[in-house]
Amino acid sequence: MLEAKDITKTFTSEGVATPALRGVSLTVGAGEFVSIVGRSGSGKTTFLNVLSTLLAPDGGEVLYGGENVTAFSPERLNRLRNRDFAVVFQFHYLLPYLTARENVLLPFMTGLGRVGSRERARAEDCLERVGLAGKGGKLPGHLSGGEQQRVAIARALVKDSKILFADEPTGNLDKTTGESVMSLLTDLKRDGLSIVMVTHDESYARRADRVVRMADGLVAGDA
Amino acid sequence: MNILTIPLRTMRKKWLKTSLLFTVFTLSVVAIVSLNYVSREVGHSLEKKLTAFGANILVTPRSEKLTVSYGGFSLGDMLMGMTDLREADVEERILSIGYRDRISVVAPKLVSMARVGDVAVGVVGVRFEREKVLKGYWSMQGDFPAAENGVLAGSKAAARLGLKVGDGFDLAGRPAVVSGVLDPTGSDDDSVIFADLGFAQAAFGQEDKVSFVEVAALCAGCPIEDIVRQLEEKLPDTEIQAMQSIVKQRMYSVHFVEHLILTVSLVILFIACCMVGATMLSSVNERIREIGLLRSLGFSRSGIFGVFCFEAALIGLAAGVVGYFGGFFLSVKVLDLLGMAQEAEAAMHAGHLLLTCALIVGVSVLAAFFPSWKAASIEPSTALISL
Repeated sequence: MLEAKDITKTFTSEGVATPALRGVSLTVGAGEFVSIVGRSGSGKTTFLNVLSTLLAPDGGEVLYGGENVTAFSPERLNRLRNRDFAVVFQFHYLLPYLTARENVLLPFMTGLGRVGSRERARAEDCLERVGLAGKGGKLPGHLSGGEQQRVAIARALVKDSKILFADEPTGNLDKTTGESVMSLLTDLKRDGLSIVMVTHDESYARRADRVVRMADGLVAGDA
Repeated sequence: MNILTIPLRTMRKKWLKTSLLFTVFTLSVVAIVSLNYVSREVGHSLEKKLTAFGANILVTPRSEKLTVSYGGFSLGDMLMGMTDLREADVEERILSIGYRDRISVVAPKLVSMARVGDVAVGVVGVRFEREKVLKGYWSMQGDFPAAENGVLAGSKAAARLGLKVGDGFDLAGRPAVVSGVLDPTGSDDDSVIFADLGFAQAAFGQEDKVSFVEVAALCAGCPIEDIVRQLEEKLPDTEIQAMQSIVKQRMYSVHFVEHLILTVSLVILFIACCMVGATMLSSVNERIREIGLLRSLGFSRSGIFGVFCFEAALIGLAAGVVGYFGGFFLSVKVLDLLGMAQEAEAAMHAGHLLLTCALIVGVSVLAAFFPSWKAASIEPSTALISL
């Protein structure tokens, strides 16, 4: 479903080049849950950003459905991010001036077309699925950290995306809340959603179908 | 809900910043609109006042000048084929042109020669009530004549004839009384005696005739050439001369005020634009995470660009509407303070409102162009790295 081939990426700051990815390859099957672990600076978040098209690689290819997405036009990339790919960040990044429901509806608000009742119903379904039924009218500031992260996950689900990229989704949550978020991801995987999750927590990583270990910008292990 | 919900909610959430920006922009619009109205009224008023410093169009009978000499004896310049100007007819024609509303004063004059005692002197018949407007710079001992046989003596003429205020003398066989003696002006006015036009026409047997007509036209709304052309059409047997130097000097004064106000307005507008630009730029920097998130959700560059431009346009529109009304009422107050409210012609106009709003919206969007472009250019990855 998603395949990364020999991805390289180097960041340059003040004339100093720092290689972040040095030829990383990975394949993610449909409905597969892959977790990526590694120390800070190992390149796992950079790799996730490349896979989710948020960062263009210096070299290599990312194939989705057999097509090289690194060669997509900006318009096609926008469509891909809007329809097929979904990203959940460590910090939920909800817009504070929109309610939980409106945050979930954001992927439907990319143009001048008005959000219809069908989309609203879909948002309510997603909120219910993440355990936030009845809280759609609340502003993010009035929700707990775990609830905010659930809203972010509901936002990722609202367009029936094919792959969910999660960057440390439990990194900013306490153990209990993190556990509930992981249960939710496991449920989503069971329903057929492909998930690529970056985490530094071994116990959460082991719940995935595969654990990819990264070190110094390379895949150190895949099991 | 659609993409425009985002800027609308942002503005509501950041109401303090929005209010400040709106206030600054509105005050700028108020200043510009009020300056515009006031400058226009001051310009009109100034031009009307400048009319007191002379006419700018001269209407004379058409004639052919011939220099005659024979056998070494010169007869001097002779005027041939000169037609008389009839006061009532000329006035009626002048006041029938398309630009008649721009005609401020029509001052007919009859020039003759007379002897007072043994001294020859020029006599100019005038309509004193019009000369008062046209010769606002005159100062005198005594006053303008109230009676038909009252005259004003130029300073040199009065000295030559030994006349002073209250003296009676014989003018072309009719008794005349000096009601005023002009202070020296440095012009031809010093050497002549001004009498009432009707008195002069009767005394010199020139009923209803005039030698020439001075016209003071207001040229703020139209070029002097257009007024002259219309006068030529209405008065085919006359020569119409525009006194360009007077017109230019007068319009220079009027335009100086208008240009000064325009410059001040542009400076205010530029400062307001800088404020909008700086605020939008800081807003982009503050909302870089939001931009990154929206781009990761599939929002296009043009969509992000539109979000920021829409914010600026909304503030510009609100500032344009409020600023226009505020500016208009401020200009009324200022004109009132200047004592010009009575004669002011300023009026609110839907076209002016639309023009102001369109201009301010355009300028605010232009000011927000760079910040919006910067926002649209941010790659999701850049925003994410900055997180």
